[in-house]
Amino acid sequence: MASLLEARGVKKTYRMGRVLVPALRGITFEVKEGEFVAIFGPSGSGKSTLLHVLGGLDRPEEGEVFMGGTSFSKLNANELAEIRLRKIGFVFQFFNLLPRLTALRNVELPLALADVPEKKSIEKAREVLRLVGLEDRMNHRPPELSGGEQQRVAIARALISDPKIVLADEPTGNLDTATGWEIVQLMKRLNEEKAQTFVVVTHDPSIAETADRVLQLKDGLIGGVKKGGLRL
Amino acid sequence: MASENMKQRRLRTSLTILGVIIGISAIIALASLGEGFRTTVKTRMERGFELDVLTVIPGTLFAGYRPQRFTEIEVKNVSQVANVSIATPIMQIGNVTLYKGNEKVSAFVAAAVNFTEFQQVFSDRFRFEEGGVPEHVGNDTLVLGHKVNYPNEAEPAFAHFNDTVTVTLGNIPISYHPYVKLENYSFTVAGILQKTGTPGLTNFDYWAFIPLDTARKIYGTNSSDLIFVKVPNPEFSESVAEDIEDLFPPYQITVLVPLSFIQQVDFILNVIEIFLTSVASIALLVAGIGIMNIMTVSVMERTREIGILKAIGAKNRTVLTMFLAETVLIGLAGSLTGVLTGYGLAHVLSYVLSGFFTPRHGSAFQTPETPGMSINPVFSLPWTVGAIVFGTLICILFGLYPARKAAKLDPVEALRYE
Repeated sequence: MASLLEARGVKKTYRMGRVLVPALRGITFEVKEGEFVAIFGPSGSGKSTLLHVLGGLDRPEEGEVFMGGTSFSKLNANELAEIRLRKIGFVFQFFNLLPRLTALRNVELPLALADVPEKKSIEKAREVLRLVGLEDRMNHRPPELSGGEQQRVAIARALISDPKIVLADEPTGNLDTATGWEIVQLMKRLNEEKAQTFVVVTHDPSIAETADRVLQLKDGLIGGVKKGGLRL
Repeated sequence: MASENMKQRRLRTSLTILGVIIGISAIIALASLGEGFRTTVKTRMERGFELDVLTVIPGTLFAGYRPQRFTEIEVKNVSQVANVSIATPIMQIGNVTLYKGNEKVSAFVAAAVNFTEFQQVFSDRFRFEEGGVPEHVGNDTLVLGHKVNYPNEAEPAFAHFNDTVTVTLGNIPISYHPYVKLENYSFTVAGILQKTGTPGLTNFDYWAFIPLDTARKIYGTNSSDLIFVKVPNPEFSESVAEDIEDLFPPYQITVLVPLSFIQQVDFILNVIEIFLTSVASIALLVAGIGIMNIMTVSVMERTREIGILKAIGAKNRTVLTMFLAETVLIGLAGSLTGVLTGYGLAHVLSYVLSGFFTPRHGSAFQTPETPGMSINPVFSLPWTVGAIVFGTLICILFGLYPARKAAKLDPVEALRYE
């Protein structure tokens, strides 16, 4: 299978007050199409930073990220935004939905930003919401939804533009175990049924168990690779 | 989406809009009242002057002095200038008292005129309430201005048509004139003029008229004090005035052109209007700063939201447009409402102000018969459109900085923002 996303020697330091913290110290790995990859590590191991760099939200100081052979370092801010809009879906720990918009409008947002005609984008939003099992909650606003439902909306939003890859940052981190498990199952189902590629950073073992491949992240380095899931 | 966001911050948004409303209202109110003021002043001036009548007077106000009255030849030369319909000379005799039995009235001036020509020149103003210019003007024809005949409205008229009146003619009110006479002459009333009403260069209410030929005989001269020149159209007045000036040596005469006088006043009124609206614009500027404030706060509050939008692929331009759209909405809503309240305010102010302009009897500046001056606000399309455009532009201008700030937010930083 072709390599979809590739990180080569990615280094990133971030500043916390006056202290420079080396978050990523040379990360190299690749993600193939249709894979479900978990990046597993304790908090503070640089997981979120890695995900931001992989998603073109942040630029590494050294090393490069390639998507379909194109290096992000060669793209300007607008071109990166375009990549995020059309090829990448993001799922966050705190859902990051717009609280004033209904579930339907939240999901539709990427298509609205891409200037897709409203009729078409709404239809597509309904379809994805049905896919994540929220057909009867479409007109609720995020504050009226449970955490699990909000995360489903966020997953639907990530899927609406048929992205090459979905990047999820601790998607179960803010949910109870049972709900978290449901979200993991949803992602797994989407991966199996629609061959949707997922890269999930987490310290939730249930995700690590489900993944095709687990990358252990420790002190800004990939410490180990396990195929076929991680049994703890 | 812009309007969605605004609904959420209803109070703050309405206060900002209120700022714009006040600014635009002030501009519109002052502009439309200024325009109304101009119209009132202009109409009154136009009523006070005949725009198609020029007055040729000897001497110039500051530079020159003409020790000489107009000769018959000079009057004739003036009448032959291109685009002059009629040129009619008059003699002015001051200090005139009229007697009828025991009754006595006085006139501000007795004008010796050629009645037929004079009536043609002042066709609008020289109108009769009683009698008229006789077909054959005799030596003793006398026409009385309205206030001469009715010095006190409550009392009966001094004289009527065909009454015989004794007139004491005084000296000619130019000091260099060589002859002074104070003698009584008998005249027959041929007509009483209608009320002129408005003050002006030629308010005939306080005038009495006698035939020019009679005056010439009495004073033994064919010369005259003034020449009234009628042009077919006020547009010709400037060129005719120049041609008349060319007939005389420099600085010997003055031609009063009512049109240019009115244009001068119009110019001054323009300057006043611009000044007033500039003052009002300051209010709008303050509103603009208010918008900058609310938008900056709004950007801060929505940092996380901006982060989300950028993370899912919104371009900088999209975020910029989103925030600018809000300021444009504020600007448009404020400006449109401001225009309406501005005209409303102008009407209220005009009602209040008209109280100050109601004449009081005995006031130094107004004759008792002057009607109350009212200022009606004028609706002006250019001002209205201009105010809306200006209001919106100010909003965009002040909204630009916060909108750019929003657009340039780093998505990772913004997402981390709580």
